[in-house]
Amino acid sequence: MSVARFVTKRVVQGVGVVWGVVTVVFALRFVTPGSPVNAVAPLDASQETRRAIAVELGLDQPLYVQYLQYVGDLLRGDMGFSYVRGQDVARLVFLKLPATVELAVAATVLAIAISIPLGVLSATRRNQPADYLATLFSLGGISTPNFWLGIMMILVLAVQLGLFQTSGRGVGFPGVLAAVVGPEPFLDTLLSWLSYITLPAIALGTYFTALITRLTRSGMLDELGEAYVQATRAKGLPETLVRYKHALRNTLIPVITVLGLQLGTLIGGAVITEAVFSWPGLGTLVIQSINLRDWPVLQGCLVIIGTSFVVVNIVVDTLYAHLDPGVVYD
Amino acid sequence: MVSPRVVRNLKKEFRRSALAKVGLVLVVGVLLVAVFAPFVAPHNPTEQDLDGKQLPPIGFSKTVEETSSELVDGEVRTVTETTRIEADPQHPLGTDPLGRDMLSRIVYGARTSLLVGVLGTVLAAAVGVPVGLIAGYKSGRVDDALMRFADVSLAFPSLVLAVALIGLWGRAAVELPDPFVSAGLAPGMPATFTLPGTVIVVVGIVNWVWFARVARGEALSIRTEEYVKAARALGGSDRGILLSHVLPNAITPIIVLGTVQIAAIILLESALSFLGFSGTTLSWGFDIAQGRDYISSGQWWIAGIPGFAIMLSVIGVNLLGDWLRDALDPDIEGEGGG
Repeated sequence: MSVARFVTKRVVQGVGVVWGVVTVVFALRFVTPGSPVNAVAPLDASQETRRAIAVELGLDQPLYVQYLQYVGDLLRGDMGFSYVRGQDVARLVFLKLPATVELAVAATVLAIAISIPLGVLSATRRNQPADYLATLFSLGGISTPNFWLGIMMILVLAVQLGLFQTSGRGVGFPGVLAAVVGPEPFLDTLLSWLSYITLPAIALGTYFTALITRLTRSGMLDELGEAYVQATRAKGLPETLVRYKHALRNTLIPVITVLGLQLGTLIGGAVITEAVFSWPGLGTLVIQSINLRDWPVLQGCLVIIGTSFVVVNIVVDTLYAHLDPGVVYD
Repeated sequence: MVSPRVVRNLKKEFRRSALAKVGLVLVVGVLLVAVFAPFVAPHNPTEQDLDGKQLPPIGFSKTVEETSSELVDGEVRTVTETTRIEADPQHPLGTDPLGRDMLSRIVYGARTSLLVGVLGTVLAAAVGVPVGLIAGYKSGRVDDALMRFADVSLAFPSLVLAVALIGLWGRAAVELPDPFVSAGLAPGMPATFTLPGTVIVVVGIVNWVWFARVARGEALSIRTEEYVKAARALGGSDRGILLSHVLPNAITPIIVLGTVQIAAIILLESALSFLGFSGTTLSWGFDIAQGRDYISSGQWWIAGIPGFAIMLSVIGVNLLGDWLRDALDPDIEGEGGG
């Protein structure tokens, strides 16, 4: 099977999963105690508003009609209306999405940039001080609550040393891009952006840095013991080439699989990291929606989060297929 | 299930690994503290003392300078007042904003963390393992349905799904009488202990699919083994074969996953309490949330100390998990969870 057909197949499967996500979110409407209207209407809503909501949700219709209506609305990009905020849900959700993507990407880039060299170092210097330090770091990293790490960094690096901002997003990455062409001084904008994003990215990225360091280390140790590595060495290939071209490439395959699976942890981690740093993204929106009992917005966030998970996993699988020539496309 | 060979491997690995010893000490320590909390805690963790609030831990007594302006005889004068805040040996880890003893709160918080971690994992395994074993053993349609459902489940991050469910269901909690206090052995300690029921159910629901996946994978390979074929040829029932052949042979990776899950659920519980979605106020995550407002004034211990408690417990469980994995089956993929 060609890569193109493999990708097509994964996309079709992905659509199936997204459909499942939508169905689960629809079903969640019924786990609320009482009528689904309770979850949508503000607590002080009048009888007329409540009746209007019941009609809008199609509660006077049979269940399958309600379901089809919900799916149909979503396909048209209509995620409903937040009566609590008086705003269109889709608009609200897509307004907040870029901030979360920015944070998640920053954390991932940071994690990969640190963990893979660290894992390789740890494996090639097995049982030396560098290996012990890396092992200790990764053990601590997978065991530390990210929100607490965030608060402690705010305490030391932001409050006491004044190096970083304690909350907010600043101009964001789009602001940095705008400074490239716009009149704002580029360097100042970049530094300002870094002062906002560095701490949240470290807080969110540490768990993954630690996890990938562990995986890279154990993967490299396995690979370096394999016969083909011995053979390439015997052939007289420089050690750097042996390590990075051959052993590391094979190590990355399981690392990528786990990364895809752990993407949910990354998004979940973003929710709480945003809460610590008042980062204006989807996570903050999720928590606010629950506290305000704003169910349509929560529903919209869940659909977007589930869909993003599926999309990124398709990308990861494609990468995987690209890295591993031996992968069977089925 | 626990064959002499398994015991031998466990012992051998334990002797070889210093980290396994550290893990065991940490886990046993936290376990003892949690069980005997009323005897370990020096004070009642809910008792307020507004005269002794925000006291620093021993060794962190500090001098605070407060500058204020005063109008004396028509002149503005700056007055600097120096106050010394002494740590109180009665409160070795200091006190929180309501004057409650931090050490006692840490001790009782261990109960919440461990109970939610263990009960949540047991619940997740009780649902996930049977479903996974049946799906893998039967394969075919049951298996397809499960795997598709697992895909959908995985698309929702545990934390997001958990806060959504708790937001919809509310924060129900069960008050359990403390056996030591009812027996009159620990006077002055809280008579009941709050078990955050919704949180346990929810963390079980959001994590069962990891157990289902691992159990399914094991069952898929075990069903083709000769001994299973033989049992089937001898007319064994599916139920009998699952219980007496498949489950015992699948148990090792399930136990290893269990330890990883306890660690993940302790972290998840702390996150839920931090966000205010727990049913109890005696939780490390809850204390971090209330200490957060005091870090800008340098009172690091209120949020800081509970974090160290979480970290040490989770490190302990993770080390124990590494030990089990290395001793029982070096081939298992170690990183599932959360």
